[in-house]
Amino acid sequence: MRYEMVAGFETHVELATNTKIFCSCTTQFGGEPNTHCCPICIGLPGTLPKLNKRVVEYAVKAGLATNCEIAEISKMDRKNYCYPDLPKAYQISQYDMPLCKNGYIELSNGRKIRITRIHIEEDAGKLVHSRGNTLVDYNRGGVPLIEIVSEPDIRTVEEAREYVEKLQLIMRYIGVSDCKMQEGSMRCDVNISIRPVGSEELGTRTEIKNMNSINFITKAMEYEFNRQVDVIESGESVVQETLRYDDVSNTTSSMRGKEDANDYRYFRDPDLVTINVSREKVAELKAELPELPFEKQKRYVEEFGLPESDAQLLTKYRKIAEYYEKSIEGTKNPKTAANFIIGQIFRYVDNESEKESFNINVSSESLNELIKLIDSGKIRMNLAKSTLDKMLETGKKLNELISESDMAGLDENAVKELCRQAVESNPNAVNDYKNGKQKAIKSLVGYVMKNSRGKADPMLAERIIGEIIKNS
Amino acid sequence: MVSKEEIMKIAILSKLFVSEEEIDSLTEDMDKIIAFADTINNATDAGTDFDNINNLSDVLRDDVEVPSYDREKILANAKDSADGCFLVKNIMK
Amino acid sequence: MSEGKIAKLHGMLEAKEISCKELAQTYIDASERDNEKLNAYVTMTPEIALNTAEAVDKKIANGEKIGLLEGIPMTLKDNISTDGIKTTCCSKILEDYVPVYDATVWTILKKQNAVLIGKTNMDEFAMGSSCETSVFGGAKNPHNINCVAGGSSGGAASAVGGNIAVYGLGSDTGGSIRQPAGFCGIVGLKPTYGAVSRYGLIAYASSLDQIGPITSSVEDAAAVFDAISEYDEKDSTSQGRKGEPVCGTLKNDIKGMKIGIAHEYLDGVREDVKQSIEKAADVYKSLGAEIVYFDLPALKYALPVYYILACAEASSNLGRYDGIRYGYKAENYRDVNDMIKKTRSRGFGDEVKKRILLGTYVLSAGYYDAYYKKAQNLRGTIVNAFKNAFNICDVILAPTVPMTAFENGRAVSDPVETYLTDICTVPVNIAGLPGISLPCGYDSNGMPIGMQLIGNTFDEAKILNAAWQYENAANVFRPSDFGVKL
Repeated sequence: MRYEMVAGFETHVELATNTKIFCSCTTQFGGEPNTHCCPICIGLPGTLPKLNKRVVEYAVKAGLATNCEIAEISKMDRKNYCYPDLPKAYQISQYDMPLCKNGYIELSNGRKIRITRIHIEEDAGKLVHSRGNTLVDYNRGGVPLIEIVSEPDIRTVEEAREYVEKLQLIMRYIGVSDCKMQEGSMRCDVNISIRPVGSEELGTRTEIKNMNSINFITKAMEYEFNRQVDVIESGESVVQETLRYDDVSNTTSSMRGKEDANDYRYFRDPDLVTINVSREKVAELKAELPELPFEKQKRYVEEFGLPESDAQLLTKYRKIAEYYEKSIEGTKNPKTAANFIIGQIFRYVDNESEKESFNINVSSESLNELIKLIDSGKIRMNLAKSTLDKMLETGKKLNELISESDMAGLDENAVKELCRQAVESNPNAVNDYKNGKQKAIKSLVGYVMKNSRGKADPMLAERIIGEIIKNS
Repeated sequence: MVSKEEIMKIAILSKLFVSEEEIDSLTEDMDKIIAFADTINNATDAGTDFDNINNLSDVLRDDVEVPSYDREKILANAKDSADGCFLVKNIMK
Repeated sequence: MSEGKIAKLHGMLEAKEISCKELAQTYIDASERDNEKLNAYVTMTPEIALNTAEAVDKKIANGEKIGLLEGIPMTLKDNISTDGIKTTCCSKILEDYVPVYDATVWTILKKQNAVLIGKTNMDEFAMGSSCETSVFGGAKNPHNINCVAGGSSGGAASAVGGNIAVYGLGSDTGGSIRQPAGFCGIVGLKPTYGAVSRYGLIAYASSLDQIGPITSSVEDAAAVFDAISEYDEKDSTSQGRKGEPVCGTLKNDIKGMKIGIAHEYLDGVREDVKQSIEKAADVYKSLGAEIVYFDLPALKYALPVYYILACAEASSNLGRYDGIRYGYKAENYRDVNDMIKKTRSRGFGDEVKKRILLGTYVLSAGYYDAYYKKAQNLRGTIVNAFKNAFNICDVILAPTVPMTAFENGRAVSDPVETYLTDICTVPVNIAGLPGISLPCGYDSNGMPIGMQLIGNTFDEAKILNAAWQYENAANVFRPSDFGVKL
């Protein structure tokens, strides 16, 4: 029998606010242990939480960017469980009134992955175990999180990968999180079950906790899918449990259940008051949202006639897209700028974060100038290319690299002179041409171009050479 | 009527030990208290939704950083600490 | 004319009849002498008191104007956080805890050079009505040290009643300011929820807790309330005092004021207590006020609602005491979880454990709707019932406690019976209203009887006005044999 995967995601995303969700400590990653702490975020007796306005705004933006409804009335609840990384023995979260619900993300295959809800909550501290000792660092404690919960709509690891990548892309684009999985600012729990293809029922699901790499996620899901198939095939049944993925052995293993079956005893946090997001506020935040990457991609293909692949490369990072759009302002050929950026400029940005920030020593303005020179026929493509390379290497300005005379081009007489030289000094090529080798003329044109340092008009040169040979 | 088992279950959730000696008298007390609490279920009045006492909403903080505390102060009350962290020693070595 | 002790001492300081240091020393000496009998203080802070006093003397010497509370000897309940001063909640689990920040009320009073004599005794985590669940043993009643001072702010009431402090700040979750004030024959004000910042008050039940003054006169209560009822941005539920300082209207006449008496408040109340409430009503008539009787049936659910909500919140608020960041930590354990359980089992007293367990129970799966949710809805009912009551009267007159101070160690063995002592005080906390307790007579053993005036939200001015008029007309206050004689 053939089985299909049924998977849903719970994704935790750390919000890129300056301060923690309930106190004014920094949210900066890392730092010496317990140096980003105050009485509030280590839960000293008597301290009280005060909700960070920007956390609400970012969560609403995340909701809007994933097609969610934004709740007008919302509240904070306490999720009670005792663990050393949780200083108050409860996590302030949202239970039955999340800020955002009923959204979706559309995949390239047209399938919509439904978003059940997005709620805000506080992150926990970090435990380090060494030789049985437990060390606790609360720097991360109280960093704002949104939890994005999807419906079990994912059917393949490819869809899973695209879902996570899209989430990452959106959150970065709208500027609510850097989504650095390696730094834990984006973490995924995946619940996964299997069922015979065509069946509508849901099988018993297992949950793989806390994965912080897209490759691990897909590997873990593949492994878990096959494991469940084996279990079913061997006539046994899948046990509902929480699993940990081990990337070294590439296996999942059961997390030994805490002694107490979880009963979180949710109740409204009496230290915090109702959250009321007015429709005006929602409209305001919606207006602040940038054009999303997929919308841009579509527009680049339709408006600029770029191939899908180019459009994707140019929209993946917000800064690059902005750079591109500036560089083509008032130019005739958006494709040229795309080729320059992808073909040449990308050689100067290697890793993700460099693309994220996209600081290169050719401003979008000077690239724009360069392209306008091409449009106006003042310089030829190959000169433009080499100039761009020089600019990228030296950081020199356009006008420092090409002079007026370079841009002047050659008048017809100068071209005729060069053509005569070309014919004289290449008898073989001339003979080949006479004997019907059309291609031979190219090498003669090449001679002209070389000796005019690219300034001659190759079409003109070819015409003249043709005439010279005919008349000889 | 609350059972010993239920008391044990909530004791675990409360991170409290209940010794064999305590369990009976505690169960008895808890039973009285819970029976007393139960009297609210005689209320014919279904009640009224209760939000927060003064119906406040949108009390929010601006996202402006304030320097954190010195670590010495953060750790000042910890019984054990090491490497700038709160420490729970492994005493089973 | 009923005069406040604070105004009197303030006058003496300004007139240089006594130096602030002398005044502080007098109270420190009396405290050190009488605390052995009263057990009102769990920590004394003479150095701090004298340093502040010196600063005040300098100001006076320089001819600077001093504020009403400057240089006045006072106390803080031991659940109010004080930077650098032990704050234990009278629990083993916080036996050596020294806060690294100040509660907002203490920040305010420090600025006004309040002279802190010490931190006062209380029931462990404010859970109790006799002060006897304190790990340090109960505070004693200055009118008879064989009797309890009441609770949970027993130490504060004992210190003020015993005149070893001029005023104290307590906290009131279900009567913890008003009940001991009533037992000790003094004045206790529980402000409207949100009128005084809770920041730095170690939480028992966050939606019910409120800090307020315990004083020997209504005027003093008004003065302290005016000083501490400030909006605090650190407390999301804080609103501060609404309207003008209450001192301004304290002595207005109350002709035509409608004083309401709800029958339910007198059910099961001891006869002599009931009589003194009726006498108080007569005093009000003689002052030109109108007495209106009415029913408040919602009250019969107040007590169970209170215990369900208070314990639910407490079970969550007290989860943080795990030995890792502060406070007591068990010595021998197998692993982290075992350490946490041993710490809590050994660190908390029986009453606290009982309330944590009840709170966990009413919130746990399968019981939430029947207990917590239902109680929350009935809270809404009680809130509305009071709203309606204040359409027919300005303030409500009621007993503070159905009885007078009982003997030490007699806190009834039956837990539920013990809870019944709070029956007249908890409704105010459930509805977030202001309530004041003041002496209105004495029983056959000379133990004080307290009466309570309850106002609509943020109507402190009204109940203090009514309280002052009664105090001034009835003049029942009797000083104890303890403390400073000035």
